[in-house]
Amino acid sequence: MRSRELKFAKSWLIGVAIGTTIGFACSAVRAQDSLSESPRKSTHKTEAVAYLYPEQVTVPAGKPSVVTLHFRIQQNLHINSHTPREQYLIPTVFSIPESSGVRLASASYPAGADFTLPVDPSEKLLVYSGEFAIQANIVATSGDHLVEAKLHYQACDQNACLPPKTITVPIDVVGK
Amino acid sequence: MKRNTIVISITLLILATFAWAGWANWEYRKQAAERALASASHAELIPAAPGDVPQSQTSLVGKPAPDFVLEDLSGRTVPLSSFKGKPLLINFWATWCGPCKIETPWLVELQNEYASKGFQIVGISTEGDDLQPGDKEGLARDKVSIARFVKEYHMQYPVLVNGDSLASAYGGLDAMPTSVYVNPDGKVVAMQLGITSKEDMVANVEKTLAPGK
Repeated sequence: MRSRELKFAKSWLIGVAIGTTIGFACSAVRAQDSLSESPRKSTHKTEAVAYLYPEQVTVPAGKPSVVTLHFRIQQNLHINSHTPREQYLIPTVFSIPESSGVRLASASYPAGADFTLPVDPSEKLLVYSGEFAIQANIVATSGDHLVEAKLHYQACDQNACLPPKTITVPIDVVGK
Repeated sequence: MKRNTIVISITLLILATFAWAGWANWEYRKQAAERALASASHAELIPAAPGDVPQSQTSLVGKPAPDFVLEDLSGRTVPLSSFKGKPLLINFWATWCGPCKIETPWLVELQNEYASKGFQIVGISTEGDDLQPGDKEGLARDKVSIARFVKEYHMQYPVLVNGDSLASAYGGLDAMPTSVYVNPDGKVVAMQLGITSKEDMVANVEKTLAPGK
């Protein structure tokens, strides 16, 4: 009896091992194939603003969850805050495209810091510089979503301004 | 003993397979995220200089000012040739640009101060919104905010729109304001990116007044 049980356990273990190995090997090969179909571009250039982290977040499916997104602005540059003091200035805005499986319920931005241009000390601007974080309140459906969120901003240094830009903020959102 | 060894080996194999699959999955996610980031930045024109707004574009100094035909706020087409023989300051600016807002009153003063010498400023709004040819709605939207700025700052000199279409001809126009000083012979005598002081602008305006240099 004991011998039969051991024989059954041995066969079961071997079956599971072979099945699991083949299954995972196939999925890994498929993943590598999809990468080789679109070879990584080597033309990455420096942006005024770079997204830092997180690359992946896990949130409860269907429930609002706050995710803190970290960004870095190039040295010597600043960007307008979400609420610039002057109407003509372009505010920094974070957004998530519709139909990505993740909805942006709201976003909380830092207040910004006072900044004056050397040629006009009388006007105080409200800007971000260095590193800053946005608190995004998101609602994700169940599943794995590679979200390409957007950050729209307009950067300047002390003497000149760059055109407004929209960068992609890639986040892997897992709703469980 | 032999059976135990086999069972342990198989168990270890399964665990190793799980670990490898997990690692492969993590690598895949990481590379996919990097790929998305790289493709996004590939689509945009950005300054090459790290950490600062570029201070030296392709210099046009000593070359003829590149020709153009642009619309003014009333829709009338204005060619560069309509200013032929005049000392010129072609000023590329944008409504969202703080330094341009500071510089504009200096330009208004310079136009008044040097008008008697035939000097002419041409403002060209360069909003950086990459309007497609034929995007009438986008152009109309731009014109509303440009007209508001022109009125607020009493810009008495000609203001043209859609300077973005001149980016490649005028050295990239990566940053605003960009000023191009042209002498009566049509040659560029100085270029200035960003603002420094009105005195610097006066020095460059003086260069435009001397033909053939």
